[in-house]
Amino acid sequence: MPTIENKQHQNLAVDRKRFVGATVLNLVLTGLSFLLVLPFLWMVLTSFKQLSEVGADSWLPSEGLQWRNYAKVFEQVPFLRFYWNSLFIAACVTFLQVFTSSMAAFAFSRLQWRGRDKVFMLYLSTMMLPGLVMMIPNYQIMIELGLVDTMIGLVIPAAFSAFGTFLMRQFMLAIPSSLDEAAQIDGANKWRLYWDVILPLSRPGLVTLAIFTFMGSYNSFFWPLVMVKSEHKYTLPIGLLYFDSSAGQETNLLMAAVTMSVLPMIIVFVVLQKKLVAGIQLGAVKG
Amino acid sequence: MNKCERKKILTGLAFLTPNILGVLLFTIFPVVFSLFMAFSNWDLKQHNRFLTDHIQYVGLDNIRELFTDGRFLRFFGNTLFFMMGIPFAVAGSLLAAIMLSKDTRGGGGRPYRWLLASVGLVVSCSLLAVGGMRSTGMTVLMVGLVSSILIAGVTGGKSVYRTLFYTPNFVSGVATFILWKKLFNTQNGPINNALQPVLDHVASGVNALPSPMVSYLMWLGFVLILLLFYMGTGYLRRMLVDGELGRIAALLPLIALCLPIWVACRWSLSSPHAWLLLVGAVVCLGLQMMHYYKAEDHYTARAGDGFGSALILCLLVMVGEFVLLGLSQVAWHLPAMAADGLESPRWLTDVNWAKPSLMAMGLWGALGSNNMLLYLAALTNVPGELYEAADIDGATSLQRFWHITWPQLAATTFFIFVMSTIGGLQGGFEMARVMTSGGPAGATTTLSYYIYQEGFETGRLGFASAVAWALFALVFSVTLFNWKFGNRYAND
Repeated sequence: MPTIENKQHQNLAVDRKRFVGATVLNLVLTGLSFLLVLPFLWMVLTSFKQLSEVGADSWLPSEGLQWRNYAKVFEQVPFLRFYWNSLFIAACVTFLQVFTSSMAAFAFSRLQWRGRDKVFMLYLSTMMLPGLVMMIPNYQIMIELGLVDTMIGLVIPAAFSAFGTFLMRQFMLAIPSSLDEAAQIDGANKWRLYWDVILPLSRPGLVTLAIFTFMGSYNSFFWPLVMVKSEHKYTLPIGLLYFDSSAGQETNLLMAAVTMSVLPMIIVFVVLQKKLVAGIQLGAVKG
Repeated sequence: MNKCERKKILTGLAFLTPNILGVLLFTIFPVVFSLFMAFSNWDLKQHNRFLTDHIQYVGLDNIRELFTDGRFLRFFGNTLFFMMGIPFAVAGSLLAAIMLSKDTRGGGGRPYRWLLASVGLVVSCSLLAVGGMRSTGMTVLMVGLVSSILIAGVTGGKSVYRTLFYTPNFVSGVATFILWKKLFNTQNGPINNALQPVLDHVASGVNALPSPMVSYLMWLGFVLILLLFYMGTGYLRRMLVDGELGRIAALLPLIALCLPIWVACRWSLSSPHAWLLLVGAVVCLGLQMMHYYKAEDHYTARAGDGFGSALILCLLVMVGEFVLLGLSQVAWHLPAMAADGLESPRWLTDVNWAKPSLMAMGLWGALGSNNMLLYLAALTNVPGELYEAADIDGATSLQRFWHITWPQLAATTFFIFVMSTIGGLQGGFEMARVMTSGGPAGATTTLSYYIYQEGFETGRLGFASAVAWALFALVFSVTLFNWKFGNRYAND
C-alpha cells in the first residue's frame, strides 16, 4: 500500500537525518576531547623519557620506558611522605568539618529556638567574605598560638565552614518532620535524634560534603604554603612546588612527579563520578 | 514557658558550639582584626620580636597609597584582563553542555547501528592507511588516541565525553600548572615544537602572495566588527523601545560593546587605521539613535530593568568583537612579520603573551567545568513541550536556541556569571605563584598575588590588609548587584 511505503520513506529520511546528526556530534566531541587529553598524554610520555630526549619533536620515548624516573623522584624527595601528609590532613579536615557542620546544620534545621534564623543569616553572610581577608590575621593567630609549621595548624582553621553547614541544612530540611515527633514519642533525646535518625538519613548529603571537603583540602595551596616550613611536613602541592624549583630542569622527573600526583585524582574522579556530578549540581543549584 | 524556651536555646547552642567557636575564632575575629590592621602601619620589618616599635593608627594612609601608588590599579587591571576570559569560558561550557545534552546515538535503533558500523569502518581504514604509509610513531599515536576516544564515545555514550571534558577541571591545581609551564616552554616545549613548522609554512605562504592581499583581510575584520557592533546596539535599542530595558541599565552593556573599539584605538599594536573603526562605530550609534527616535511607541521601563540579560549578551558580543579585532590585527601585521620568518611566541616569558597564555590554559580547564554541569542540569529542566511547539512552527535550530534555550537558561547564566566574577576577582594566585611568580614585569600579578606578596613576602601586614579589604569591597559590590538584579530570575 502506498501509505505504508510513504511512511517507510519518511522513517528512513528521519533515520538518515539522525544518523548524520549523531555522526557530526560524535566527531566534534571526539575532537574536543582529544585536544583536552593531549596535555596528559604528553605528561605521561615525557615522564618515561630520558632527559636528553625531552625536547625532541617526537613525543614517544625512543630509548625504552625509563621506569627509573619514578624511582629517582622517590630518591630525591620524600614523595610518599607528601602523599601521606596530604591524605592525613584531608582526612582530618573532612572528618571534623562533616561532624561540626552536620551538628550545626541540625541545630539550624531540626531544632526550634528563638533567634535561630538570625544566627543563620549571620552564618550565611560569612560565606561572602573572601578567604584572602582572613589569611593574614589567621597567620598572626597561628603565630600567637605557636601552631606555625604544625599539622594541627594546617587542620584546625579548615575544619569549620559555613558552606558545609549551609549544604547540610539544605539536606536536613528535606527530611520529613514526622520522624522527629516519632523519635520524641519513643523517648529519644535530641542527641539520639541527631545521631540515630537524622545523620543516617542525610547520608547522601554527608557523602557530597565529604567529597567536596576532601578534594578541597587535598588541593589546598595558599594556607599550607604559608604555614609549612619543614620538608617532612610538606603536602603534595607544596612538595611539587619545591620539587619544581629544585629539579625544574629535569623535565622528565618533574613529569613523573606530576603524573603521580594527578593519576590518583583521575582514578578517584572516574570511580566517584556519578556522586560527584550529582553533588555539584545539587550544591550549586541550591546554593 | 520561659524556662522551656531557655532550654531550647541552650540545646540549639550546644549543637552549634563546636562550629560557632571555630567560625568565631577563624572567620569573624580575623575579619574584624584585619579591618583594624588595614588602618595601621603594621610592618614586620619594624614591628617584630627584636624591634618593638609601636604599631600606629595611620588613618587612611594605606587607602591613599592604594590609589596613588599605581601598583594596585595596575594589578587590578591585570585581574580585569584575566576576567575577560570569563565570557569565553561560559560560552565554551554552554556549548559543551548543549552538545552533551544532545543524543549522541541518533535515537538508538537503526541509526545507532549505522553509526557503530561507520565508526568501525573509518577507524579500521585510518589504521590501515597509517600502517600503509611510512608512518612515524607520532602519527600512529595520534590516530590511535583519536580512534580510541571515538570508539569509547560511540559505544559508551555521553558519559565518556563528559568524563573526558571534566577531568582537566577536576585535577587542576599545582600539578597541572607545572605541566602547562613545561608545555609553554619557549625553547623546546611541545607547543612551540608543533607550532614552529606551521608558522614556517605560513610565512613562506604569505611571502609568496602579493603583500597587500593579506593585509586587506583586516578591512574584512573591521566590517565584521562593525556589523557585530551594529547588531549589539540594535538589540539594546529594540529592548529600550519595547520597554524591556531601563535607560540607566543600558549604560554598562553599551560600554561593554564600545570597549573593543576603544581598545583598538588605544592599543599599541593596532594598525594606524583603527580610527576608522571609531568613525564607523559613531555612525552605527547615530543610526541606532535615529531609529530609536523614529520608533512609534516607546514603552518606558524602570531604570534598572533588564540589566542582567542585556549585559550578558553584550559581554558575549564584546568577546566576538575582541576575537575579530585580534584576527584583523594579525592579518595587518602578518606580511611585515613574515618577511623575515615567523617565530613562535615566547608565551609566559613575554610581557604581551603571558596573560593570554594563562587565559588559554584556563580555557582548557573551563570547558568542562562545574559550569558545564550546571548547564547540563538546567538543560534537562527545559520543558520539552517548548521544543515540540517550536518544531510545529517550523523553527530552525538557531531559532530554537535563541528563543527557547537561551531565555530558559537565563537564570543559570546569570548565576554562573556572578559566581565567575566573584571567583575571578579573587583568582590568579596559584597560577602566578607556580608558573610566573607574577612576572614578567608584573604582567601576571593579580590582586590575590599582590596580597600574598605584601602580606607574606615583604611583611607589610597593614597595607596588605588594606588591599584585601579593597578586594572585599569589590566582591561585595558584585554580591549587591546579584541581590538587586538576580531576584528577577529567582521569581520567574
